[in-house]
Amino acid sequence: MTVAHSTGSPRRFKLSRLSTGSLQLNVGLVIFTILLLALIGQALFMPASALDGDLPSRLKGPGYQGHVFGTDQLGRDLLFRVLGGLPWSLGIAGLATLILASIGTVLGLIAAWYTNFIRTIVLLFISTVIAFPFLVLALVAVAIIGRGFWPITLTLGLIAWPVVARVIYAEGRGVLTREYVLAARLFGVSKWSILFVHVLPGIRPTILVMGAFLFAVMLILESALSFLGLGAPLNAPSWGNMLSDSRQYLVNAPWMMLVPAGAIVSAVISLNLIGDGVAEISRKRARAVEA
Amino acid sequence: MAEPSGGVHVTDVTKNSVGAKSEPNELVQPDIAGGSRGDEIIIPVYWNIARTLGKRLVELAFLLFVISTVLFFALRLTGDPAAVLAGETGDAEQLALIRAQYGLDKPIIIQYLIFLGKVAVLDFGTSLANAQDALGLVLERLPTSFTLVIIAFSANLIVAIPLGAWLGGRPDQRLRKGASTMVFIAQGIPGYITGLILIQIFAVELRWLPSIGNQGPLSWLMPAFTLASFQAPQVIRVISANVAEAMREDYIRTARANGAGFQTLLWRHALKNAMLGATALIGTQVAFLLSGSIITEVIFAWPGLGRLLVTSVQTLDFPVVQAAVFMISIFVYTAITLTDIVFLFIDPRLRRQRA
Repeated sequence: MTVAHSTGSPRRFKLSRLSTGSLQLNVGLVIFTILLLALIGQALFMPASALDGDLPSRLKGPGYQGHVFGTDQLGRDLLFRVLGGLPWSLGIAGLATLILASIGTVLGLIAAWYTNFIRTIVLLFISTVIAFPFLVLALVAVAIIGRGFWPITLTLGLIAWPVVARVIYAEGRGVLTREYVLAARLFGVSKWSILFVHVLPGIRPTILVMGAFLFAVMLILESALSFLGLGAPLNAPSWGNMLSDSRQYLVNAPWMMLVPAGAIVSAVISLNLIGDGVAEISRKRARAVEA
Repeated sequence: MAEPSGGVHVTDVTKNSVGAKSEPNELVQPDIAGGSRGDEIIIPVYWNIARTLGKRLVELAFLLFVISTVLFFALRLTGDPAAVLAGETGDAEQLALIRAQYGLDKPIIIQYLIFLGKVAVLDFGTSLANAQDALGLVLERLPTSFTLVIIAFSANLIVAIPLGAWLGGRPDQRLRKGASTMVFIAQGIPGYITGLILIQIFAVELRWLPSIGNQGPLSWLMPAFTLASFQAPQVIRVISANVAEAMREDYIRTARANGAGFQTLLWRHALKNAMLGATALIGTQVAFLLSGSIITEVIFAWPGLGRLLVTSVQTLDFPVVQAAVFMISIFVYTAITLTDIVFLFIDPRLRRQRA
């Protein structure tokens, strides 16, 4: 925006200006940004050979010959494996969250708009699928469509959208009764434009909060599937695979378990912090509007 | 307006007996039918129970139908089921024999109808792995899984409810703030990590507890704790938030003015109200216990339904997968229906409906 810079002298960059006013959100965003930068960094700079094993230095503890986090049962460097696992965890979970948030939002809004059989069908579908444990559905889906990056992404994205749809439906119905929506209707604005231009911004905080929490849930599910041997291919550096490998070496090499466990926990906690933080901020704003 | 909120309700009441309710659950799990708007009538509890049962039965039937259909066609899309049934050793002669035996030579629509008919009477066929009855295999594993689920669930409630109330009573106290942070962190640790850490500490380092299988009460501790550890933080957080909220309400102030002490306010008045909100969460958790137990059972080599499901998915043993998924669906729907019914009894607002 050129208008914003019309005052001339460029203002000095201050870190505090990035702060969001919520400690939780700040901490969560910092951890998550580090993970994202690591994801991009490993994609750009990490050579494929970094994941190779070196049998003589197998099962060595952290710090051995420059292996910061130690090595696994094939002598592979655990730091590089954890980094290599980022696309499997953050990548799959992020894409799945995008898919489920989009489907959930669109179907939730559609159900909120129509009062006829379309709503009935969408709601029946939502309340049927929502009650069913994700992991069981994911297992069935994996049995059918197999393993690998895209099958898992699609499976996770396609099973969890009812959670979003239900909440968006409830909120959407509330927003649809607002006066500005009524005004838009009276002006003859089309339903799609009402739903996606006028209603959608009103429920954005909800989508953000749910997105953050479901991102974490998807990450846990992906690792769970890999842990069960039904997710990423067996030699892929997915965090769930690493945990699964570590089970046989808990006695000799506990770091094999602690490294991927730490990665999963920090990613999940950062997302929970972000979700909590956004929820807190939007609650505060809502209270400020009421007051 | 396209939003005739009153009209929907009126038509709704008339078709209640069918059970196919068109009005949605809002944010809360069970359906709170009315608000306090307008004239209200008190509906008898049994009427609501019948309606809830009907609605859940329709959903369950729909879910089971969809899952069977998907599994049926998926098995045929992904390959030749006769080849799957025959295993690696099957030659052409054997394949033809199997096709005739399982009716795979008939047109696919006929096969589908026969299949649906069998599923309707819970006949899933025999396991491809060991030729045992698939449903029998699943039923055999159920008690072992239930042991785990029941212990974990009780542990969850016994710890989470008092802890949540304690945290919510004075949320700004430093000690409780610290405890809340611990709960928040615990919420971010998936069950399979908790399980592995427990094994590392109590089985590998200290050698106090057995890490594998079902060998009596001592071997129940770690799996049950693992299963409860992922659900308890959620309950604690919801109860503490609800208690904290309730402590600011007018009725608490009235009770305080009447001379009630802090402990009475907290445990008798605030907690009671907070449990209402928490019951919805606890109900969904019961439903998710079986899925949580899948991973727990694998980690601790617990001979339950979850491990059976994982093994049969790994070996593509579709009859057993289907029988297991059916049993889990029935369990899940029983759990949420019971939650709905519990709600009808504990929340007097649900007995009212706009006339």
